[in-house]
Amino acid sequence: MENKWYDGLNLRKICGKYRVSVLQCPQFLFLVMGLIIIVTVLAAYVAASAYDQPELAALSVLILASVLFVIGHMIISAFEKVALSSLSKSEFISIMSHQLRSPLSAVKWQLNVMLSEDAKQEDKLNDRARAYLEAIYGQNERMIRAVNDLLEVNRIEDRDLILRPTAFSLRALTERVMKNYEKFSSANNVQIGVFAQDDLPMVLADEERIKRVIEHLTDNAVRYSTKKSEIKISIKNYGDRIDWKIIDQGAGIPDTDKPRIFDKFFRSVNASRYQTEGSGVGLFIAKSIIKMHGGVIGFSSELEKGSTFWFSLPIKK
Amino acid sequence: MKKILFIEDEESLQRAMGSMLEQKKMQILKALNGEDGLNIAKKETPDLILLDLILPKKNGFEVLGELKKDPGTKDIPIIVLTNLEGSTDIERALALGATTYLVKANYTLEDIMAKIESVLEHK
Repeated sequence: MENKWYDGLNLRKICGKYRVSVLQCPQFLFLVMGLIIIVTVLAAYVAASAYDQPELAALSVLILASVLFVIGHMIISAFEKVALSSLSKSEFISIMSHQLRSPLSAVKWQLNVMLSEDAKQEDKLNDRARAYLEAIYGQNERMIRAVNDLLEVNRIEDRDLILRPTAFSLRALTERVMKNYEKFSSANNVQIGVFAQDDLPMVLADEERIKRVIEHLTDNAVRYSTKKSEIKISIKNYGDRIDWKIIDQGAGIPDTDKPRIFDKFFRSVNASRYQTEGSGVGLFIAKSIIKMHGGVIGFSSELEKGSTFWFSLPIKK
Repeated sequence: MKKILFIEDEESLQRAMGSMLEQKKMQILKALNGEDGLNIAKKETPDLILLDLILPKKNGFEVLGELKKDPGTKDIPIIVLTNLEGSTDIERALALGATTYLVKANYTLEDIMAKIESVLEHK
């Protein structure tokens, strides 16, 4: 829904959004403080001009200044309450995510053993059982990704995302990630091709986090490919940086949604039409990670023709 | 045959890791709490230790600190395998001497095997 200029004056709406009472709402208290300042100035002027005694004017200013002090304190307390509530929310997310990850990793590892190549060779599983287990594995991975996204957004907002840079090959990482996407992409009738320049230098970055960026961008490209098509990934060296680019022939992004595409929780109308799944945090996370690396991320898109998303990373010197 | 000590209080994870290490022809030593883990490490001097951080009796940070202080175990590479991912946890574990820090939920057993082999190779 479009915001009107006068929405900023609707205190009931603004304070309702914070879920606090009016007396704890910073905007309301700020308005009251502003009114009192105006009244104070006027009262001081009237008192000073109506009476000969300057003490009376000084006393009225003092009384109103005390009221201002009390309201100022209420504003600070209201902010403190908001900050504490945000902190406890972050801690809650952190604790719950850990609690969720423990059973998820236990399921993942048990399935890893059952589905491992050796289990296959010894013919311990029939095809039907294998298909069921693979489906469970896929859903478990989806849950792990959702928990990771939740934690990552929390860390970005708390400014607690610390990078652990190492030198690694962006090409090798991309190929590893694409291996995990083989089944997902063929189920979506999409073929992924990686075209990387020979002798690409190493990049200096947090490999785990760049892996997540590649996963988010690939995930989107596959999900929004609406017909049988090809996705191209190119990796090129530009001297001081390496550019990673993914080109799909999917649904594309409407022009009206383009400015908000990297916003947290934003999902394009087009995206919701083709895919009900998705929380709208993938591109927000990707942009935050690339920015933290001193890189750049961007995109171009044409409706019904496809999108190109790219990022660049500095090369290890 | 390489000996790997896995200090982890979740038995199902111990079992899964054990099967995978056996496939790679490695021997697994298991400890379900920090204290047992320390004792086994001192007695058996394994080639590598996989260490969880949230453990009964002695937590992973204490175990890591004591292993790195002891001349008999200080050179054993330690891979921290946990589901904690706070920046302070990672920094603390690496500062105490962990070789690497992996989040369990984000790695398949095959990935972890590759890390174990790579650490053993560079030992």
